[in-house]
Amino acid sequence: MRGIAAAGAYVPRFRLTTDELAEAWGTSHASGIERKAVPAADEDALTMAVEAAERALSSDAVDRDDLTLAAVATTTTPAEEGELLPRLARALDLPRSVATATVGGHTAAGAEALSRALDAEGPALVVAADCPAGEPAEGDHPLGAGAAAFVVDDDAPATVTGTAWYTEETPGVRFRERGGEEVASLDVTTYQRNAIREAVTEAVSSLPVDPADADAASVHQPDGRFPYRATADLPVSNGAVAAGTVVDRIGDAGAATVPLGLLAALDADDTGSDEGDAESAGTSIAAFFGGGTAAAVAVGGGLAVEGIDDLEDGTTIDYASYLRERGYVVSGDVAGGGAHVSLPNWRRSLDQRYRLVAGVCPECGGVSFPPEGACQSCHSRIEFEEFEAPRTGTVRALTVIGQGGAPPEFAELQQRDGAYAVAIVELEAAAGRVRLPAQVTDADPADVDVGDEVRATVRRIYEQEGVPRYGVKFEPIESE
Amino acid sequence: MRDVYVLGAGQSSFGSFPEETYLTLFDDAFDAALDSVDGEFDPGEIEEAYLGTLGVGGRQIGLSGPAVTEHLGLHGVPTTRVENACAASGFAFRQAVTAVKSGVVDVALAGGYEVMTDASSDHTRWWLGVSGETEWERTSGTTFAGVYAQMASAHMDEYGTTAEDLSRVAVKNHANGAKNPKAHLGFECSLEDAVSAPSVADPLNLYHCCPTTDGASAAIVVSEEVAREASDAAVQVAGAGAASGRVGLFQRESLTSVPASVTAGESAYEQAGIAPDDLDFAEVHDCFAIAELLAYEDLGFCERGEAGRLLREGVTDPDGELPVNTSGGLKSKGHPIGATGTGQIVEAFKQLRGEAYVQVDDPKYGLTHNVGGSGGGVTVHVLERGEFA
Ligand SMILES: [Zn+2]
Repeated sequence: MRGIAAAGAYVPRFRLTTDELAEAWGTSHASGIERKAVPAADEDALTMAVEAAERALSSDAVDRDDLTLAAVATTTTPAEEGELLPRLARALDLPRSVATATVGGHTAAGAEALSRALDAEGPALVVAADCPAGEPAEGDHPLGAGAAAFVVDDDAPATVTGTAWYTEETPGVRFRERGGEEVASLDVTTYQRNAIREAVTEAVSSLPVDPADADAASVHQPDGRFPYRATADLPVSNGAVAAGTVVDRIGDAGAATVPLGLLAALDADDTGSDEGDAESAGTSIAAFFGGGTAAAVAVGGGLAVEGIDDLEDGTTIDYASYLRERGYVVSGDVAGGGAHVSLPNWRRSLDQRYRLVAGVCPECGGVSFPPEGACQSCHSRIEFEEFEAPRTGTVRALTVIGQGGAPPEFAELQQRDGAYAVAIVELEAAAGRVRLPAQVTDADPADVDVGDEVRATVRRIYEQEGVPRYGVKFEPIESE
Repeated sequence: MRDVYVLGAGQSSFGSFPEETYLTLFDDAFDAALDSVDGEFDPGEIEEAYLGTLGVGGRQIGLSGPAVTEHLGLHGVPTTRVENACAASGFAFRQAVTAVKSGVVDVALAGGYEVMTDASSDHTRWWLGVSGETEWERTSGTTFAGVYAQMASAHMDEYGTTAEDLSRVAVKNHANGAKNPKAHLGFECSLEDAVSAPSVADPLNLYHCCPTTDGASAAIVVSEEVAREASDAAVQVAGAGAASGRVGLFQRESLTSVPASVTAGESAYEQAGIAPDDLDFAEVHDCFAIAELLAYEDLGFCERGEAGRLLREGVTDPDGELPVNTSGGLKSKGHPIGATGTGQIVEAFKQLRGEAYVQVDDPKYGLTHNVGGSGGGVTVHVLERGEFA
């Protein structure tokens, strides 16, 4: 039977409290949400997906070279049309032969992606990553961000015991017009609540498990109260709903909320014991709803989820910073031109920008980054032996580019994220020292020093001619 | 190989002249260079010209060199435009020296020019950024100031250099520049002002950075024979060193040194047959304060990590053992990218003839040090007082 062999969660660092939101607007439309996750200016569905997937793939249970399918669920693809999965696959160094699936258009997209993986043969990667946006005065209030990654495989510690579907036209519940950035709802309250409850009830009731036995249920959660209402006609306990609810801490992360709730449930059910311990293994249910489709998934057993602590962690920001980080108040139009690195040249360097591939000189053993041209140590013209540098390292030199001081193509990032630190980072590989310049993200630049330990993460670097470019940045490793 | 002399050298005023063009600014520099010749000299004797510019703003990106010489009336003179970022005219001067030294020509013109202040600030920033390492440094979001700031952070970490040490460069160079009527920022500044200036690229603040400057400079480079005929006090080019280095800081062995400066310096000293101790003054490339400190160490003025001490002890003040940047340096005199290298030659020429605004006492040897980018190309020249009379 197929199940979940490994999993990773990722939630952006920043949090906005509903109190802060209510202070700004005099009211809030984020019922049952205490705080929500805020994607930083250099994050989007792709970067969050990469991070969550990298965490899932860090498990010994899976070798990324064996993956046969990669599926992403999101309602916020960075471009309405264009690269998403190829970038994810490249950033994660997945096999070029991997089958791909991009699912979107509604918040139950995660169920569709998961379903593809359950039907596939061999290990399959599923990532739900989302950062919906809404009209700031109201629609935006509950909206958060996050990503959940699953590796689906045979003989996994968490077994998928059943899936069920229910689909019915339900117009006006949650939608986004073509070309629009903001999700909307007609807020026909009773109609909407009843329609979703009916669909969830039908789907969950069709599972081959008794909902009353569920230890945890991650139910469609656009706000903190909704999952309890949606399960009113089901014998699911409030305790189970609470165990699968994360919206109170991360906000409505679109297609990623229910998957993250499921991961929270699976992690809580991680008994640490080996397979075959069916007695103690609990049952978790995920109940998705989106655009008229409800889908239910039942999972038996649990597993440790890398990154699940992100649900609790975070750095609180004020409302003005929130508006800036999310780009609600920044135009993005910058005069003056951009750096002249052509897209073909950028593509040529992807092994370096995503995977930190450096080269060893066969003559002198010196290390060069990027591994091109003459050896940076002995200056011989040689063929480098390439290797992937470790993803953690040390800041060796540092500057902070203050507001207004950034090159034009980084001006939007700076307007949104403020002053940023740029370091020369040294990665200590077995073959030698790899040095490269990179931004330090997810850090107050004033708190970064020469000598600090940092970890690589893939972020949006800048956008030029409508095409976003992604590559490595570094984030501090908290020393505690 | 023949001995080579500087017969004349001059510069336009350095500053913000948005209504001037590179052609009109070079007119001024050329006139000043001709005026500085103490004997008879006919510009028609110029056989070859090497002119340095980065071409900030993209104006006349092709053939600006010939446009300058034709504008001057040096009709038909073969002209080569030299581009090595901020070291463009240091290398143009080197080309002129090589041409004369080899015997190919007897008289060559070297110079440089840049107009930067007539463009929008975004436009200018874009242009400055493109002569850093583009593929990695620039796309990490840094600026020129940022890369030098990274060097400063590493120097501070390794040697305990302080922001105050950096600020002393500004205080000293402004004090010198305040006496130079052709300086861009010809005012004095206190250590307190310099330390408390707003940040540009931490740890560098505004007073740790040179201004954006318009200007031009020129030098007439001649054989000994021509020099003896036209002058009683020509200045000899005793050593001409130069070297290239990796354009990106991250690609170099050291973050606290500019290897090309070390190599260029050693080569210039060797040709001149002198040691750093023999120098009476130096014009070094202080585009950012940390660059002056690195120059002290790379050029052998002191041991590694000792540059801050030199400044604290006033060794490089005008009345110190080795006055540095008596012209005001890039910090106060200004840094019109392509004009900076030959601008330094102008100051050395004046010093060795006893005509400088901040004159050191009876100098025999002076050094000029011109750096492209953060160290991708460096020239070092040792100039010696002419001994004929
Ligand atoms: Zn080698």
